[in-house]
Amino acid sequence: MPALRELQEDFRRALLEGAADAVAALIETGDLSAEERLDVHRNNLFASLTAALRDTFPAVCRLVDERFFAYAAHEFIRLRPPARAVLADYGADFPAFLADFPPCRELAWLADVARLEWLMAHAARAAEAEPLGAAALAGVAPEDTPRLGLWLHPALGYLASPFPVDRIWRANRPEGDAAAVDLDAGGVRLELGRRGGEVVMRPLGQASFAFRQALAQGAALEAAAARALIVEPAFDLARALGDLFRDGAVVAAEVLFPAMEAMP
Amino acid sequence: MISEANGNSAIPAAIGIGLRAPHLAEIIATRPALGWLEVHAENYMGGGPALTQLEVVRRDYRLSLHGVGLSLGSAEGIDAAHLGRLKLLVDRLEPFLVSEHLSWSVSGGAYLNDLLPLPYTEEALDIVAANLAQAQDALGRPLLLENPSGYLRFRHSTIAEPDFLAELVRRSGCRLLCDVNNIVVSASNLGFDAKAYLDALPAAAVAEIHLAGHAATERGGRTLLIDDHGSRVAAPVWALYRRALAHFGLVPSLVEWDRNLPALPVLIEEARRAEGMAQDVGGGDAGTA
Repeated sequence: MPALRELQEDFRRALLEGAADAVAALIETGDLSAEERLDVHRNNLFASLTAALRDTFPAVCRLVDERFFAYAAHEFIRLRPPARAVLADYGADFPAFLADFPPCRELAWLADVARLEWLMAHAARAAEAEPLGAAALAGVAPEDTPRLGLWLHPALGYLASPFPVDRIWRANRPEGDAAAVDLDAGGVRLELGRRGGEVVMRPLGQASFAFRQALAQGAALEAAAARALIVEPAFDLARALGDLFRDGAVVAAEVLFPAMEAMP
Repeated sequence: MISEANGNSAIPAAIGIGLRAPHLAEIIATRPALGWLEVHAENYMGGGPALTQLEVVRRDYRLSLHGVGLSLGSAEGIDAAHLGRLKLLVDRLEPFLVSEHLSWSVSGGAYLNDLLPLPYTEEALDIVAANLAQAQDALGRPLLLENPSGYLRFRHSTIAEPDFLAELVRRSGCRLLCDVNNIVVSASNLGFDAKAYLDALPAAAVAEIHLAGHAATERGGRTLLIDDHGSRVAAPVWALYRRALAHFGLVPSLVEWDRNLPALPVLIEEARRAEGMAQDVGGGDAGTA
């Protein structure tokens, strides 16, 4: 008789990897075999997690069709089962999994569509936060401005793709426009957020994408501006900052590394 | 009527429904007369707009939090982070009931998203009792523990499930959520007598009853019942509910529906049926709040 911990490890392997011998020997059979009984739990596990992934990645599911999606999801669940019991958080690794999944190799754009859907799901359920007014910067000393950190709204997300993933996504909504999408139409830089409870997606120019994405990654103001200036030497920081506050994108501001006291 | 037998004097008996996201807006807009609502705790752990909406509902209804992810049966212990998320939600929503399951779903840090069966042994009893104590200490209140739906039984089990539950009540001070659909499903799949099981539960500890639909599937010419919450409550479950009411008194009862979620009025119709039955048995007002 195995210790409970060992039994649970064997049971997990029986469900995920199909290696059921160790557990099957412990199960009363009667008129159903141990395998038939274990199958109920195996089905519960794979069907419920596949449904959770389908809820988060509906356009991916339409693009590859239901059966292929179930196959890809099964492989993903087997290799990367959830690490926590909050299903809305499951699937962060699914885009990267699809990028490396050999049967999808021809579909170079698929992983980016998945990344887009992950950011949309995130935007829909991210915590609420009160936007900060630009007046909050009034007290920041000029010498501290370069080291200013701006915390963006938790719903905001940024995605750059060499493919027109926004158009691919639109064409694959249930109520879809179903128009053919020209995959060579060029890439996009997208900002995802939430307005009035609805997820909003909009394309950004190269410089403001670089600026906002850098801030979202935790860069201080000067470093974020530098990234924008690399792609667009005419980047106007004052204007970009104004836009950011006007969009309600900033929820907190803090000088990241205050100037050192002068040494005696 | 308030049941004296189970000491539920603070909780007037009433019938509730499981609240699922597609019905949330309609509940807020129409405010149907229901005793209370129950939600799955894990669906609101991310915070955000869903939780804000639930707080709106909470102003008009008593709320019960039903957890599915704590994994009280895990030998590796319960996830402190998950317990912390549950506590945040309990503090914020102030539910009148908080329940979990006699099962496990986490092994090796992987969450298997199913309510998996335990062997009923002294070792398992110690493990569940310790996990329960940790959870109840953190939450500062007793949990209700739900009897699972069963599809298999371990050869080395030495304790009958109702006795296992009764011992957990004795050791931890937890209370019980008696799912009568699960009893019907397990009794059919594992070949035991549903009425005898119900009668063996410690009646005074039962603080909530669940009702739901199940599905019947064929495996090798043998019928297997699946607890899928995907249809109306079946006749044998209603019959056992009548017995449960007589046995446990008018404890808060809930109609759950998850798969093939119907229009809200269908769910309310099922709740009315439970209400009628509760009034028949109790002879009192088990009705709407």
